[in-house]
Amino acid sequence: MAEELTDSELLIASRAEPEAFTELYRRHAEDLLRYFARRTLDPETAAELTAETFAEAFASRANYRDRQGVNGVAWLYGIARHRLGRFFRAGRVDAAARRKLGMPERELPPEDYERIEDLIDFAPIREALVEALDTLSDDQREAMRLRVIDGLDYAEVAQRLRCTQQNARQRVSRGLRKIALLLQERGMQLTTEVEA
Amino acid sequence: MNTDIRALQLLERDLDAVAARERDRLASVERALGDGGPGGPRRLPRRGRGGGGGRNWAGVAAAVVAMLVLAGGIGFLTQGTSPLRRVASDEAQTAGGDGGGAGAEMATPAPAPEEEAAREGGDDEQAFGNALQAPSVSDVSAESWATRDAAGTGPGVGAVPAQQGDLTKIVRDGRIGIVIADGSFSKGVSRVTVIARRNGGFVLSSSSRDERTGTLTLRIPAKRFDDTMLALRGLAGELDGRVDSQNITGEDVTAEFVDLGARLDILKQRRSLLRTLQNDATTSAEILRLSGLIENTQLEIENIQGRLNFLKDQVAEATIQVEVRERHAPGEEAGTDPENPSLTDSFELGVQGFLRVIGAIVVGLGYLIPVAVVAGAVYGVIRLVRRRDRVAS
Repeated sequence: MAEELTDSELLIASRAEPEAFTELYRRHAEDLLRYFARRTLDPETAAELTAETFAEAFASRANYRDRQGVNGVAWLYGIARHRLGRFFRAGRVDAAARRKLGMPERELPPEDYERIEDLIDFAPIREALVEALDTLSDDQREAMRLRVIDGLDYAEVAQRLRCTQQNARQRVSRGLRKIALLLQERGMQLTTEVEA
Repeated sequence: MNTDIRALQLLERDLDAVAARERDRLASVERALGDGGPGGPRRLPRRGRGGGGGRNWAGVAAAVVAMLVLAGGIGFLTQGTSPLRRVASDEAQTAGGDGGGAGAEMATPAPAPEEEAAREGGDDEQAFGNALQAPSVSDVSAESWATRDAAGTGPGVGAVPAQQGDLTKIVRDGRIGIVIADGSFSKGVSRVTVIARRNGGFVLSSSSRDERTGTLTLRIPAKRFDDTMLALRGLAGELDGRVDSQNITGEDVTAEFVDLGARLDILKQRRSLLRTLQNDATTSAEILRLSGLIENTQLEIENIQGRLNFLKDQVAEATIQVEVRERHAPGEEAGTDPENPSLTDSFELGVQGFLRVIGAIVVGLGYLIPVAVVAGAVYGVIRLVRRRDRVAS
């Protein structure tokens, strides 16, 4: 029956029935992950931000007010935007909301790197990336070039760089994060996608 | 969820766990509130705005009210201003005001001041005031009372450290309200004057209204203070009346006395030094400058001397204010008749009561908050340990 409720109703119901919140999560988790992935360009960061955003939304669900113009999903993305801004300022994701709820801080499973990168549309930013690549270390730049510009998969990237796949993933991930921070600093818009 | 991203599946599981914990917590809160209503936590109601929080708020409000009541109780207990206690003190006062009781007191030459203070009736404020002042009054032993007068008129204070008793300077003020039988006002006033004179004092000022109520201010030698107060209490019995209120305050001015004495000594030394210098001075500019300094010093000396004289006077002679009132005298006093309170009196009583309750709550919170902090810390540690166990398992 939870399926019939709107996002707002789910949020209000979740005050007394915490399970209702999980339904909200199921509806929006992947969109939110994509939102973060396209802005941070980094699967690890995107996954962490997604977890932190839902944790914070759960912890402060009692603060949600069903005002006109602020439906449930807009409220959720408000938190997301706030989280993202903090990430760009601090350069890292804190886990305060997860810690408060006693949720574990999980490492990103290896198979998720590609899956989350698939959510990112690199096409619009490819040009900007080439310029930004100069700021990276040699290892990171090479990994990025192979993965993002040449479009190789991680097995091939690892083979070329003579490192493990996990290592290759991390190099690309860190490099992307650095670039995202850099581009944000210069005020460049990374995506053209419209918020949900 | 229709996703193949493992991280999102794991996150869903984590959120489920959190939601389950939260539901257990809410359920235990509801149980604690004795609200085992139908439906239970399995329900998924479409509650209106704030519906879910309503019960939480009720719980919090109940807890706050309980805490405040507890704090108020503790405050009243510690302040000792419970209604029971006040009734008791009223009774004590009426008993003390009786003719027989007062007569017996008169026979006692010099009751210890704290005993006197303890016997005091009057309203709460006065009892409270006396309790506060009792220590400073009781500092003075009977012996020092006897020698105090000599000290007041004696030589410089700091000069005689051997005579410790002489160093204690207390300014005493008394205030007594006497209700006497109708038609005996003028007799009462003349009796008060006689009492003042018999104790070596005099009536400083007096005022009366309608020849039924009046106030007299007496100046009495300090060593006769207690005797005079007793005699005034006795007067109430003599004129078929009672003591309505009594208040004695004692202000210890010893420190100020010693301080002023020391400053006086220094200034006098300075003055004589300056005079010597002036005598030895050769140029007119020097002489002028020195005489200016001497003048200033002289002024200061006179200021201090004046204040010292005033204090000596205050210590040597106590002030007693006597309010004499006929039992059925009209005027503002009539309004305080407890049988028939006026609206303003009732309002004032209400305000006083309100402030007293607030005061008691504040005092009680002072006791409760440290306990609550400790309890909260213990609870926090227990929760932390439990959570760690849960995460570990």
